[in-house]
Parts: sequence; structure tokens; C-alpha cells
Amino acid sequence: MSAQIQGRYHGKGEPLFWLYIKTALLTMVKLGIYRFWAKTRIRKYIWSATSANEDSFEYTGTGLEKFLGFLVAIVILAIYLGIVQMVLFFAGLNLFMDPETASGADIVRQVAAIYITLFAVMPLLLFAQYRARRYKMARTRWRGIRFGMENAAWGYVWRAIGHYFLTLITLGILAPRASFYLEKYMTDRTWYGDARFEQDGKWTALYPAMKHLFIGAGFIIVGVALAALFEAIVAAILLSIVGYIWMIVGAVYYRVQAFNYLTAHKVLDDKIGFYSEVKTSTVIFTYIVGILIIGAVSSIAFTALFVVGFVGAFVTGMSFEASLSGSMVGAVALAIFGVVGYIAILLTLGALSLVIIVQPIIAHLVDGVQVHGAEHLDDITQRSADLGADAEGFADALDIGGAI
Amino acid sequence: MIGAGRLDATGAAYFDGDSPIGQPVGLRLSEDGQTLLIELADRVIAWQVTDVRSIDDFAGKGDSMLRMRRDPVARLFTPNPFVRRALPHLTRRAPPAGRGRLAMWAGAAVCAVFVQIAVLVPFLADQLADYIPLKGERALGDATFEQIKSALADNEYLPLQTCENAEGLAALTQMQNKLTASLELEQELRVFVLDHPMINAFALPGGYVVFFRGLIEAAQAPEEVAAVFGHEIGHVVSRDPTRHALRSAGSIGVLGLMFGDFAGGAVVLFLAERLIDAQYSQGAEAAADTFAYDVLHDAQIEPAALGDMFQRLKDEHGETEGIVAHFLSHPSLDARIQAARDASDRDTQVAPVLDAEAWAALQNICK
Repeated sequence: MSAQIQGRYHGKGEPLFWLYIKTALLTMVKLGIYRFWAKTRIRKYIWSATSANEDSFEYTGTGLEKFLGFLVAIVILAIYLGIVQMVLFFAGLNLFMDPETASGADIVRQVAAIYITLFAVMPLLLFAQYRARRYKMARTRWRGIRFGMENAAWGYVWRAIGHYFLTLITLGILAPRASFYLEKYMTDRTWYGDARFEQDGKWTALYPAMKHLFIGAGFIIVGVALAALFEAIVAAILLSIVGYIWMIVGAVYYRVQAFNYLTAHKVLDDKIGFYSEVKTSTVIFTYIVGILIIGAVSSIAFTALFVVGFVGAFVTGMSFEASLSGSMVGAVALAIFGVVGYIAILLTLGALSLVIIVQPIIAHLVDGVQVHGAEHLDDITQRSADLGADAEGFADALDIGGAI
Repeated sequence: MIGAGRLDATGAAYFDGDSPIGQPVGLRLSEDGQTLLIELADRVIAWQVTDVRSIDDFAGKGDSMLRMRRDPVARLFTPNPFVRRALPHLTRRAPPAGRGRLAMWAGAAVCAVFVQIAVLVPFLADQLADYIPLKGERALGDATFEQIKSALADNEYLPLQTCENAEGLAALTQMQNKLTASLELEQELRVFVLDHPMINAFALPGGYVVFFRGLIEAAQAPEEVAAVFGHEIGHVVSRDPTRHALRSAGSIGVLGLMFGDFAGGAVVLFLAERLIDAQYSQGAEAAADTFAYDVLHDAQIEPAALGDMFQRLKDEHGETEGIVAHFLSHPSLDARIQAARDASDRDTQVAPVLDAEAWAALQNICK
């Protein structure tokens, strides 16, 4: 008899909304330094709102760890980028160029310099990706037992560069191979207590998830062919637009279906299995509705701010006309009102996107996950703490990792 | 009936941190109220009330996850909000264990950032300044000059104008030719006068020497303008502005990263402002002065003109204004005036740098 556990997300919009506002205000007051603590607190909330079998997860990371890791990372980054730039200068390539006087060759050199710089950062980006996931795992607990990942970030970097290169030269045909093997690399090095995860399955099984990407690409190819062979420009443009939008939706579909497949083929400790039923339509619907609401709120709010400011300027102008100092007070008050209103609107929009887009998608993801063979969980015991001091500093310095 | 000190433990669970099994518990406060007793099936765990903390930012109304300061892994979950009342220290600060290690890391990280801004960035900038090709330097100067013109304008859509009076420009060129006659310049000078009352002049990467109208109007004689001119050429020749631009860009880049780059576009503006009021190192200033003495000497101008300009502007404007802020804020001011006078001891063949007519034209360059 196999025991089954259902994932459940019970976070609410209101507390998370105010937590975001509170931490964002603190971040402004403390000149941006508080952002590490802010992100940590939001993670704590989301982790603790995620439960399996009524036992919630715990995030044990701290803002200080993140801040320190970040300081270490910027020192290394600056040295590294400084050296890269020096080498580029030495090779006669540089980033400063006046577009009006530059010749064609100059522009080619400048573009080359930009791409070489980006490419030089690439290994660090991949390194950061692995380290960020490892840090999050090492700071996640369920029923008091830690998750963890092995210290293997450089292995990930070389493999990822190879896989992405293959994907690039095959025009994306081998993308499923890249996503499968990179996820496998990370999963096979992930632990819960003393039990190891394993990624089963085959990379070719991800191809059905690619179908909408192929259909979208097909539209664009047909469109280009029409333009080239029959000069049917209007039809070609229409087909290309349809194909483009189809591919965007197809990309979301791929990510969702790949997540479902990869989750369903993960095994913990050889005995415990998983199942995931995330729906592409729910993810896209949540996203579009969220964007529409945020767009509407922001246009109403900014219009209101402008109208109130305008009326305010008119009224103070009238009543304080007599004295210069009076109108100065009015102007200063108006300026303060404008700045405060502007900041309040921006904060509200940020909090809204967290509460009506990010959190519902996380909730949908968590609610769709099941664990099979859960009775074997009881055999697992604790692993030792991962004290890695650099946290996810590189990810913070390079600004990757998205919302959470 | 619930006994003395007993707390409702319905739904509560204890996780010992060794196995992922939530154990049902009974909860009781000791008679003196100082100890929380967690009764498991086979043993009783005692937590000092003063050491019990709750996990903050915990989702779920009324639910609490409790921990004990000296045990990093054990957790007690309770859905009963009344348990919290018996434990008054739940939200006290609880510095994590291993504080020494954290403090060490914090110290090391702060030092590293400091070293980076104070040592590494200047070092890299100095190296880069020597390697940056003239063309790149010029593009950097062009971009910065445009930035400065819009930064100083009253109206953001109407950048500050350069003064274009033909006779004035001719006089300025005449002065430039006299000063540079004996020099072999790596890059062509580009000399401009900005229509702005500030008493100041500055150099930019790419051979830019820029005067403000205020400085030309405040000068009593063409030799004083020539002296400042010579000083700025000195900066151009030693590539101080390029060095300074790279340094500022590096430091601002590091600081911008630290503060989350919330300043965004303001960085460029700030960089432009910094260049106008560039405080080069004392060594660079002294080198530019020395350079100016030679240039003045070769151009048959008394090198003391530089000192005279400093002295008079100091007398007239005090220590903190306009050109004083630019040229004279170094503690070595008197030494510099003295150095200028000493430099005059050699036999300089003195000839007026501009005749009265040209000088009048230069003074009216913005009209």
C-alpha cells in the first residue's frame, strides 16, 4: 500500500502584499542594502505557505548571508571584468564609440567587444545559476530535515556551455536534450536528508512538449517561403505574426510540460516518486489577467496622480499668489506629494505583480504536485549543514534568479 | 480538565531534526513558568522559555513554528495561538550561532570592497588609460562633453551653447598656437568656451580643454587665461581626465552594484559633474603646474602668471568659490603660488601673449 502526499499552498494575498510593501519601504530607506533581507523575508513567507501533508516548508536563509555573498561576488566580478576589458582594449576593441563618426569597421569592432564581454560573463552566469539553486536547497527544510546539493557548480558550467552550444548550432532542435541533461545533472546531486534524488526518463520524451514551438516555427517558415516565392508580403507578415505569438505561447507550454515530465520522473531514495499536473492554460491565463489588471491599475493611478497634482497646482497658485514664500510652500508640498504618490504607485504595482501573478502561479505549481511512496520518507535521516558562505552572491550581483 | 500550566497541544507536532517524523506532543509550562516542557511518547524535552523563538514571516493565521536558540534543527509546530501568550520571548532577537565566523566574513567583505574602490579600481583605470586608443578616448570625451552641456543647462531641451564669436575664437586659437608651438601633442586639442558664468576650466578625455565664460571675464590679463590654459594642456598630455573618467566609472559601477543600481541613469550625470570638478591627485596637479611653467616659459609668458591668477582669485573670491574650488582646494595652495614665483626666476623673454585688440575680442567671445 503506497502512501500518497499532496502538495498544498495556503499563502494569502493580503499578508504577502503588506510584507512586500513593508520590506520595499525599508529597502528604500536603507539605500537598497535591505533588499537582501527583503527577499529573504518574502521567501520565508512563501516557503512556510507551502506544505506537504500539512507540514510546511521552512526557509532558513538569512539576509546577512545573502549580503555577504554579494560583497564577495562583486569583488571577484570587478576584477574579472576589469581584466576582460583590459584584454579587449589591448586588442584594439572598446566599448566607447561615437555612432555618428564611427565607420562600419568601428561598429563591427564595438559589437564584437560587447559580445565578447557578454560571453566572458556567461560562465559566471551559469555558475551563479547552480550556486543559487544550491543555496536555496541548503536553506530549505521540511519536517526539520534539510535539502542540499553537492558542490559541483563548475561541472555544471562546462556542461551547460556545451549543451547550449549544441542547441544553438542545431537551431534549437536539441533544446530538449539540453534541458533534460542539465536538470538531470542538478537533480542527481540533490539530497533530502541522507536520501538522494535521481532524474529518470529520456530526453527524447520531451519532444511532444516542443510541438507548439515547431508549429509556430512552421508558420514563420511558410510565411518566409510565401514572401520569397510568390511575393505575397501581406500573407507572409500575417503568418509570421501568428507564428511568433504561437511560439511565445509554445515556449510557456514547453516549460510547463517539461516541468511535469521531469518532476514525474524524479525518484527520491529509489523508492519515492512524484507526479505533477501543472496546466499551461492556467499559467498563461493567470499571467495575462495579472498583466491586464496591473496595466489598468497603473493607468488609473497615474492619471489620478496627474489630475490631483494639476488641480493642486491651480489651487495653490490661486490662493498663494500674493506672497512668494506662500507659493514656495505650495510648490514644495506639491513636489513632495508628487514624489510620494509616484513611489506609492510603483510599490503597489510591484506588490500586485507578486500577489496576483507570481504567488498564484506558485500555488498552482505546488497544488499540482503529489508524492508517492511517502511511507519511505520516515526512513530518511538528517544531513549535515551546508555552511557555504557565498550564498548566492553571484546571482544577486548578476541580477538573475527572477522573482523569487 | 487541563491541569496547571498545561497548554492545548491539539495538532501540535515536534520535529527532532533527525528524522522527518512529526511526533505528537503534550505541552506544559513548569510551575515557575520558566520552562516549556514538551512531552513526547518516550521522553520530555525542556526548553527555557527565554530561549524559545518563533520563525518569523510564517504564513498561516494563528499557526506558529517554534525553535530553541541553542538547537539549530529541532522545531515545534503549534496551531494554537494561545501557546504564544505563555512564551513572551518569541520575537526577541536571537543572533545566530557562529557569530564570530559571520563577523569575520563581514569584515573581510567590507575590506575587500574598500580595497577594490581605493586600490584596484584606480590601478585598473591607470593601466587602461594608457592602453585606450585615441579614437576611443575621443568618443568618450565627445559623449561626456554633451552630457556636461545638458547637465549645466537651465532648460533640459536646450543644452548649454559654446561661444562662437569669430574674432574671439581667432584670439583663442592665437593663444593656443603660441602655447603649443614648442609641443608635440599626441592628439589634437579641441578648445571650447561654454556660455556659463562659472569661474572654471576643465579638461576632458580626447584633448578637450573647456573654459567657462566666467573665467575669461574674471581674468585681468590674457596671461592669466594662458596660465590656466597651460595647466589644462598639462592634464590633457598626461591623460589625467581619461584616468579620472575610468576611475569614477569603476567606483560608481561598484557602488551602483552595491546599492542595487537604483540610481540607474543618474550615474552618467553624476560622472559628468565629477569631471568638471575633478580633483586629480596632488601629484597630477603639481605635474600639470610644472608643465604649465614650461609651456608659459616657451611662449614668452612669465610663469608667475599662474600664481598671480591663484593669488588674486583667492583674494577676491575666498577659498570656496568657483575657480577657487577647482584650482585652490589643495592644502598646498601657498606652495603652488610659491612654486609659480620660483619658476619665474629663470630668464623668461616676456612678450604679450595677445595684443589689446585680440584680448578684447577674447573677452567678448560669447557676445
